[in-house]
Amino acid sequence: MSQLEVRDLHVTFGGLRAVDGMNFDVEQGEILCLLGPNGAGKSTTLDLICGKTQPTGGSIRFQNLEISQMWEFERARLGIGRKFQVPSVYKELTVAENLSVARSVKPGIWHALTSLPVRNSAKMREILDLVGLADKIGEPAGNLSHGETQWLEIAMLIAQDSRLILMDEPTAGMTIQETDRTARIFRSLKANHTLIVVEHDMSFVRTVADRIIVMNQGSKLAEGSIQEIESNEAVKTAYLGH
Amino acid sequence: MDVVLNQAFAGLSMASILLIIALGLAIIYGTMGVINLAHGEFVMLGAYTTWALQNHAGLGVVTALPLVFVAVAAVGWIIEKVIVQRLYTRPLDTILATWGIGIILQQAVRLGVGAESRFVRGPQWLSGNIEIGALVMSNYRIFVISFSLAILVVTWLLMTRTEFGMKLRAVIQNRGISECYGIEAKKVYSVTFAYGAGLAGIAGALITPLFSTIPTMGTGLVVDAFLVVIVGGLGSLMGTAAAALLIGEVTAIFSIVINDTLGRIAVLAGIILLIRFRPRGLFPSDIRR
Amino acid sequence: MQSRLLYDIIGLALFAGVILFGVPALFGYDGFELNTFSRYLSLAIVSMALALSWGTAGLLNLGQAATFGMGSYAMAMHLKLKASGDNLPDFMSWNNVEALPLIWAPFHSLTFTLLAGLLIPAAVGGLIAIFMFRARIAGVFVAVITLAFLVAFQLVVIEQQGLTGGQNGLTGLAPLVLFGWSVDIYSLSFYYLVGACLMIALVFGLYLTHSKFGLILRAIREDSERTRYFGYNVANYQTIIFSISAGLAGWAGMLYALVLEFASPTYMSVSFSLAIVIWCAVGGRESVLAAAVGAILVNLAEGRLSDVFVEGWHLLLGVLFLMVVMFMPRGIYGVIVDAGRAMRRKPVSKKEAQPFETSLNPKRES
Repeated sequence: MSQLEVRDLHVTFGGLRAVDGMNFDVEQGEILCLLGPNGAGKSTTLDLICGKTQPTGGSIRFQNLEISQMWEFERARLGIGRKFQVPSVYKELTVAENLSVARSVKPGIWHALTSLPVRNSAKMREILDLVGLADKIGEPAGNLSHGETQWLEIAMLIAQDSRLILMDEPTAGMTIQETDRTARIFRSLKANHTLIVVEHDMSFVRTVADRIIVMNQGSKLAEGSIQEIESNEAVKTAYLGH
Repeated sequence: MDVVLNQAFAGLSMASILLIIALGLAIIYGTMGVINLAHGEFVMLGAYTTWALQNHAGLGVVTALPLVFVAVAAVGWIIEKVIVQRLYTRPLDTILATWGIGIILQQAVRLGVGAESRFVRGPQWLSGNIEIGALVMSNYRIFVISFSLAILVVTWLLMTRTEFGMKLRAVIQNRGISECYGIEAKKVYSVTFAYGAGLAGIAGALITPLFSTIPTMGTGLVVDAFLVVIVGGLGSLMGTAAAALLIGEVTAIFSIVINDTLGRIAVLAGIILLIRFRPRGLFPSDIRR
Repeated sequence: MQSRLLYDIIGLALFAGVILFGVPALFGYDGFELNTFSRYLSLAIVSMALALSWGTAGLLNLGQAATFGMGSYAMAMHLKLKASGDNLPDFMSWNNVEALPLIWAPFHSLTFTLLAGLLIPAAVGGLIAIFMFRARIAGVFVAVITLAFLVAFQLVVIEQQGLTGGQNGLTGLAPLVLFGWSVDIYSLSFYYLVGACLMIALVFGLYLTHSKFGLILRAIREDSERTRYFGYNVANYQTIIFSISAGLAGWAGMLYALVLEFASPTYMSVSFSLAIVIWCAVGGRESVLAAAVGAILVNLAEGRLSDVFVEGWHLLLGVLFLMVVMFMPRGIYGVIVDAGRAMRRKPVSKKEAQPFETSLNPKRES
């Protein structure tokens, strides 16, 4: 049994079939990259898995549990984390507070009412060292640069410690060195986490992807390893328009 | 049966007043997302301007209309320039600020003119009634109804057939891109706010012969007008018109079937339930904002 | 950021010192002045309650006066029954009510009254919150729904004359007897009772804002959508803080009915609700302590100035409020925080710090 099983997934927005019959499985501990031209339905697929968008048909099973009708927070509690395309961190909170919110092992109200937020812990420093934000721990997130904001959101997802992490264009706006660092982090996450990554940077995809799914017009065009995808005729046609 | 028919006519004339107030409120909310809690005070200002023009310049209600429109629009324009414009990035604060403006206007009028009721004579040439069977329709109310329809048509033409309307719709859909194409969003906002305020002023002028003019007269009206806006859905003039008709008639019928207070509570409950269950109104436009 | 907690504790200690020792000494233990100040302190509680929902969680509750009113009526009902003895309360006979209505009966008990004044508003607030937040109503629509609720609630109270005394409210109340102590509202002990209630409310409020719960609420205020993807049930968090805030408002209402010796629908009006918003905004909605100080300062000013400008006071208040919304959206608290930050960045001389102090009172010139 795969960790995530998507079957015949559909969603339409006022007549537009954004996702149109997607089928795929994701195995525990792999990195799956979603590729495809703009408007192919990649981000929408992530939205459907994390609950931002309700499907009009089909099923999503996570760890053998049907999740397509659940609330977002219920899916998050099951172990699904999401990084958004536009980095969404809490700009008015400090870096430490952002991580404290993200670290939601016990998201219940009673726990929140009876504990003080963690502002500095070994675990938090370890994560911040990993993404290079250790010296910004007390800084409001609004003061960070765009690149640093990307790192912070990645750090928040590491702190959240979800079993399945959905990453929407994590390297957008990063330099080559930063992209390399992200790739290293992703590979180290792989041991305990499963990742679905939407990405345009092919060299990044080559370094991290175990498997690739190419989407076009809301459905799956091709699936396989990086070599298989690069030699696939249908993919070339979709991208180059021949 | 006669009672119902006459009440329905009274409801229709109330609906036409509500329509004018709600149009202004809807245009302002639809364009800049500002819930203008001072709108009722614009109505009140319109009423007092009419009273002042009648008492000091001897103008009739109908003759005063253009002057009232210009005067209240000017007040709205200044308020937009000086206050509201600074708050577009803080929508929750615009509610508070317009609330504060409403209080200031109300208190200023109370201090300047006094808290007692003022009365305005209706126009002589519209003083009679038209009777069809048992239905008695006063000429003045017929005039109010036709005038509000004319305003609806003018507003519709303004929004769909003029260059300003095109710019306005562009700014509503995407302010940033519109500015890139050289549309001055700030100017569009100011003019829209002034127009909405002017409409409220006209409504205030039109109701003076029907109600007594007091500083707090706008507060109740703005609640009903706000209900019209939510029922009608945003960005739809025809929706607003249909909603005004609905609310005007329902309130009129309610006030004879049950008492006024319960009718009022029903209206408020209606607002709450609508926001909860149909936040985009009963007649929403198709375009997503 | 631990320093913020430290500053709040220092601030609370200073505030407690001024309220508990400074104020009584300043007024020479004058009963009338102390009573007036008790009134301000009970209003500080409702202002600080609004800071919890509005400042911390971003939920602008314009119906705070309704839950405040519920508390004041609960207390007044108890005292009215006490004053009437075995007879029916006087206004009921005027309205041809034959027997004591069922909902009045339990208010014979003081324990029930105290619980009801806290829990009924909390429950009503909670229900409204569930109704709104399950549907993800946010921003200005929270303000509109709560405002509509307030107006409807006040209409009902005025309409139900036989039950509530209508427009006149509940007057002719007996003094409260608490553990055999007949409360004299012009005494120092009563002042300390209200002061202690305020202090407890403030400590509770400060704890809430500094707990993880407060942090999650601030996260929700900034981006409720994002917070859901971290596994938090946003609607539940909003409901709890809304309900706590409503309960505290009810508690303040009970104290207020004691101070005034009557309960009136005036304190369920839109303008009273707006007044609460003004106090909270002037003090600073982000801090419960600042909101309490804001309530005291504005009411103190009202007490002094409304004698001078009897007619113009409301106009002045409107202008003050507008100025605060426009130029000091974070209130006095924001000005102090910004000034503190500026001083830490580069040590400035006292002269340069002056402009901040003058901008504390922008309405003084107008």
